[in-house]
Amino acid sequence: MLTFVDDEALVKVAEVLGKEEAIEIIYTLKDAGEITDDQIANKTGIRLNSVRKILYKLYDHSLVSLRRSRDQNTGWFIFHWKLQPDQLEGFIMNQKRHVLQKLDARLGYEKNHDFYYCGSPGCKRIPFEEAMELLFQCPTCSGAMMHFDNGEVVEILSQKVDQLRKELGE
Amino acid sequence: MPRRSDLEQKALQFIANTGEAGVLQSDLWRQLDASSREGSRISIKLENKGLIRRERELSEGRWTYRLYPKRKRASINSIIDCPCLTCLENIRCGAYGATSPNDCEKLTDWLISLTQEGSDLSGDS
Repeated sequence: MLTFVDDEALVKVAEVLGKEEAIEIIYTLKDAGEITDDQIANKTGIRLNSVRKILYKLYDHSLVSLRRSRDQNTGWFIFHWKLQPDQLEGFIMNQKRHVLQKLDARLGYEKNHDFYYCGSPGCKRIPFEEAMELLFQCPTCSGAMMHFDNGEVVEILSQKVDQLRKELGE
Repeated sequence: MPRRSDLEQKALQFIANTGEAGVLQSDLWRQLDASSREGSRISIKLENKGLIRRERELSEGRWTYRLYPKRKRASINSIIDCPCLTCLENIRCGAYGATSPNDCEKLTDWLISLTQEGSDLSGDS
């Protein structure tokens, strides 16, 4: 089947899953077609266990496929890896769905709560019910907590949720 | 000589990577080391399959086609900086989990940084 392999998206996904080493591995897989983990380690200079760790991470998301064969001399298994770029779109969509679920839950929470905050960096915003029990005193720095207007947070969350829903075609 | 289907795949990938700028048909075949006859046949085939769009264009006094990808590229830009994407607590995160998106500090920091950036929501449209 003909598929679009978008290099930019592929590199970004690799970066998310395993930083620079994953990008190198992805490029090696892309050029090689089917390749063993040993060969990837030799080509990239990345340690074999790191290569395997990243490959299994990619495998968990179906971005690479795996074929197993047995070494005639040693009897050990050899793993042959292949990039599955046609799974990339599905992976991205799944991640968007996952993030949307979290952001939507947070949006509901932000909309239904009033927050109090002392204004010090590193201190938490506290919902009204909890703040009342604490007598509006910050549990971290003991400073006085004032009402925190979360209008901007709600606005940004709403925009993100709408954007993701649009991208997912919901 | 590469097989026609290989060339099709390569051509499609190349066109997909050009995005909105597209690529001139004549430039594409040079890149893929194919003949113009072969090239135009493949581009017609890709157009008939609904995978690309061809637009006539005058280039250096000759009529050629500019090829654009028809399918939108999947992009991760809209969520790439969201901490939920790479969070190690994902398995435990949920309304009744050990951690929750409601009081997640990483998520709060990200949201506050977005409000400070002035809601630059770049991503796919």
